[in-house]
Amino acid sequence: MNDLRLAAARKRLAECSGKTDAIEALREIVSNFLGSEEMALFQADCRTADFRTLWSFGIDAKKCNLLWALSEKGLEQILHGECHVQARAGESNGSKSVRAFVPIRVAHETVAVLAILQLLPQKTGFDRADMDLLALLSSEAGKALFPSGTARADESEKSE
Amino acid sequence: MAKKVLVVDDSRTALLMEREILEKRTSYQCVTAADGQEAVEKAKQERPDLILMDVVMPRMNGFEACKRMREQPSTRDIPIVLVTTRGEESYMEAGFQSGCNDYITKPVNGEELVALLQSYLGE
Repeated sequence: MNDLRLAAARKRLAECSGKTDAIEALREIVSNFLGSEEMALFQADCRTADFRTLWSFGIDAKKCNLLWALSEKGLEQILHGECHVQARAGESNGSKSVRAFVPIRVAHETVAVLAILQLLPQKTGFDRADMDLLALLSSEAGKALFPSGTARADESEKSE
Repeated sequence: MAKKVLVVDDSRTALLMEREILEKRTSYQCVTAADGQEAVEKAKQERPDLILMDVVMPRMNGFEACKRMREQPSTRDIPIVLVTTRGEESYMEAGFQSGCNDYITKPVNGEELVALLQSYLGE
């Protein structure tokens, strides 16, 4: 069934009609297929060599600086195009909290990062099929989000 | 004649996935609706053999659509499976109060979904 899920996600992203629809597609894919209703999207800004919040769903905007909490190794992994998954002890009853940071790639460059935060209670982590889906988001979401090919924050502002 | 399943969800992604599962892994025919109100109308027109319906939707949610279908003689006996992100007991109880037959949580496991549909519709 993993192939069907990947095919549905790929088709949804390919049919996006612009940035707003692409963001909605990301929300739907993460919520329906990965089991999280807390997520944020950060876009690279080449003027500051930093990431800034482009959009968030289900989380307090104050929590949006969570990229800063990443280890240097984690950030490096993302910049090189690998998904970074963090498993940490939860706040109560010994539960584990899992987060994923997905590099959104355009032309071999990380132009944005999708952070997937708290998973639904019925979901305990990311399995192999989930990792395949994260990889698909990494390679395909950029085309949907930045169809003009101008992916960095300052460039896309000029093109809008 | 192929059994017919009405799939109801406001998410295009969920509809795509559920349609793919039905068309590629079962012999059932798939019709879709994007919210509860459209589902109530489509259920009357299409007379599906089963309804697979999301709960949180615009215009009319899944609980309300379920109640409306149970009030209509033509849709009263159609099995309804609700699909939602929330798995708490109180929420599931509200689903059964509205008249659903079964309840599954997201993310939907494809194999489990097929098995559940087959338990109602046969292979």
